[in-house]
Amino acid sequence: MKGRVLIADDASFMRQMIREIIEPEGYEVVGEATDGVEAVEQYEELHPDLVTMDIVMPKRSGIDAVKGILEKTPDACVVMCSALGQETLVMEALQAGAKDFIVKPFKPDNVLSTLQKVIEKKSED
Amino acid sequence: MALDMAKYRRLFLEEAAEHLSEISTALLALEKERGATEEIDVIFRMAHSIKSMAASLDYESVAELAHALEDRMEGVRDRGAVAGDDELQSLFQGLEGLEAMVGEVRESGEAPAARPELVASLRAAADARTEPPEKKVLR
Repeated sequence: MKGRVLIADDASFMRQMIREIIEPEGYEVVGEATDGVEAVEQYEELHPDLVTMDIVMPKRSGIDAVKGILEKTPDACVVMCSALGQETLVMEALQAGAKDFIVKPFKPDNVLSTLQKVIEKKSED
Repeated sequence: MALDMAKYRRLFLEEAAEHLSEISTALLALEKERGATEEIDVIFRMAHSIKSMAASLDYESVAELAHALEDRMEGVRDRGAVAGDDELQSLFQGLEGLEAMVGEVRESGEAPAARPELVASLRAAADARTEPPEKKVLR
């Protein structure tokens, strides 16, 4: 098993796509959050190795959720899911402590290589 | 790795229909209260979500129109309210365009034709009222 992953995205479409890309490659999806509040709550409950975090979500944005997670777990691994036109928000998330980002529409190879890189970096630290 | 795109087309049709319904309800509320914060946020998020799903399925025309609506709503959100009747009309036209496009996908399974006039209408008003953010190339 490569790592336990929490997927945070308000769109079922996107959650299923990430799951379909990563599960066959050995990742275990331990939870799915549909908004930023759930993302923080589930992180604290499940302690996943990695979180894929959408930026635009209801109740609490992905960037706020990253800040919430890192406040309590400074070494948490969060990968942002960004879309066209969100360059500034991605930069803000990276400055807040997100480890990397993947871009929608998702390209399976890119998603897998980014997650692999972040997980490997985590094991080295 | 090949994804089951037929499954995602079905999901897109289901979720897009729900999102368009939410946009419609929110726009009707905005008609009565131009600064309804929650409704402004709902339209922004729903347009964003439709854009991402459509782009994943290579429905570029849908993604382009949804992106224009999303950007327009970002401007509305920054200003705190819909500027006037013209802007509201553009938003309703954007919604109707997206509904028609999703209907076309449902009927034919193919990418709908582009609606440049609707995109231009949304972009023109947005550009006139907001400064475009500085774009940074990350990769």
